[in-house]
Amino acid sequence: MSNGIENESEVAAGHAHGDHPAFLAHHFHDAPQQKSAVKFGMWLFLVQEILFFAGLFMAYFAFRALYPETWLAAHELLDKRMGAFNTVVLLTSSLTMALAVRACQLDDIKGCVRYLWITIGCAFGFMIVKYFEYSHKFHVGTLPGKFYTYEGIEGGAPELFFSVYFMMTGVHGLHVVIGIGIMLWMIMGPLRRGKVSSQYYALVENVGLYWHLVDLIWIFLFPLLYLVR
Amino acid sequence: MSSSHAAAPSHGHGHDHPAGEHISSMGTYLTIFGLLLILTVLTFAVSYAELPGNWSIIAAIGVATVKAVLVAGWFMHLKYDTRFNVLVFLSAFWFMLVFFGFTLTDLTSRGALFQKLDNHTLHAEKGAKYGAPAVLKEGGHGSEGGHGGGH
Repeated sequence: MSNGIENESEVAAGHAHGDHPAFLAHHFHDAPQQKSAVKFGMWLFLVQEILFFAGLFMAYFAFRALYPETWLAAHELLDKRMGAFNTVVLLTSSLTMALAVRACQLDDIKGCVRYLWITIGCAFGFMIVKYFEYSHKFHVGTLPGKFYTYEGIEGGAPELFFSVYFMMTGVHGLHVVIGIGIMLWMIMGPLRRGKVSSQYYALVENVGLYWHLVDLIWIFLFPLLYLVR
Repeated sequence: MSSSHAAAPSHGHGHDHPAGEHISSMGTYLTIFGLLLILTVLTFAVSYAELPGNWSIIAAIGVATVKAVLVAGWFMHLKYDTRFNVLVFLSAFWFMLVFFGFTLTDLTSRGALFQKLDNHTLHAEKGAKYGAPAVLKEGGHGSEGGHGGGH
């Protein structure tokens, strides 16, 4: 990610920064060009993320097509209400993330930090619910592959459902954890040091895009894993 | 867009706004959030209805897609972004459909193929060669001889 921020070594670069803002990196003509390039890069990254998750969704659909009864029986073991609760938590965090970006646009950096803290709180709430779900599965033995010990599902290969379940929610949960880390870093770093303003908030905007994508993936994970019959 | 490389000394000129600098109102965000909550309740309620056949999954994916459009369009500002970025984002879904389409076509048609092979008494060799999972050969001879390293 281009951080576009350099303050040292400008003398070495051969010119002073009097004629352009500090956040503008030297290899860009102007701020709009820098902004559209930074954002384009982020969209490309998100495309990669979608295609990466597409592999997991493909595994879900493939095994579902091969073992329809197993899928039906196994998904009954997931707690719909916990999934629904987490959906609402993530949607809320998506709202506060959008509001954090809006606060930056309005030059309200304090507001941005406040909304980011709420977003982080929601992310932790999501992970706590996931912890309870996971520990229940560890307890009853609905685990992936050879670790599967539960006896109570009719139909072949029930461990496959839980392989898919743990892989999809696990990788998604990893994204949530990474998101928490990036948000904390933003608050402690660039936002505290005054590097973000209504003139330059591409960083917050891109982290927002990442966070919305994590939400977007959960929007599909939730019904497919918890709800669909 | 300012096209000159002699960068303007400061910002705030009307033509100088970076791409996608649309500022949505608080009301817009809250409306989208409300719609997302309603759709979540809807998809949750539908899961209790005994929908016949594939309608359950069609309804679930349909509602999820509407939610995804709301998130991408308004929370991710795609509605106000450049057309090029919209195209880039949508291309991901196009490639995903290609990926799903070919893979599912393969998976769902292989069973019929193996039954045909069975009818031609080629199943033992061909089955071993192509390694069909046992489930795909259901309704065939039910023998496990086809897969694994039995040849």
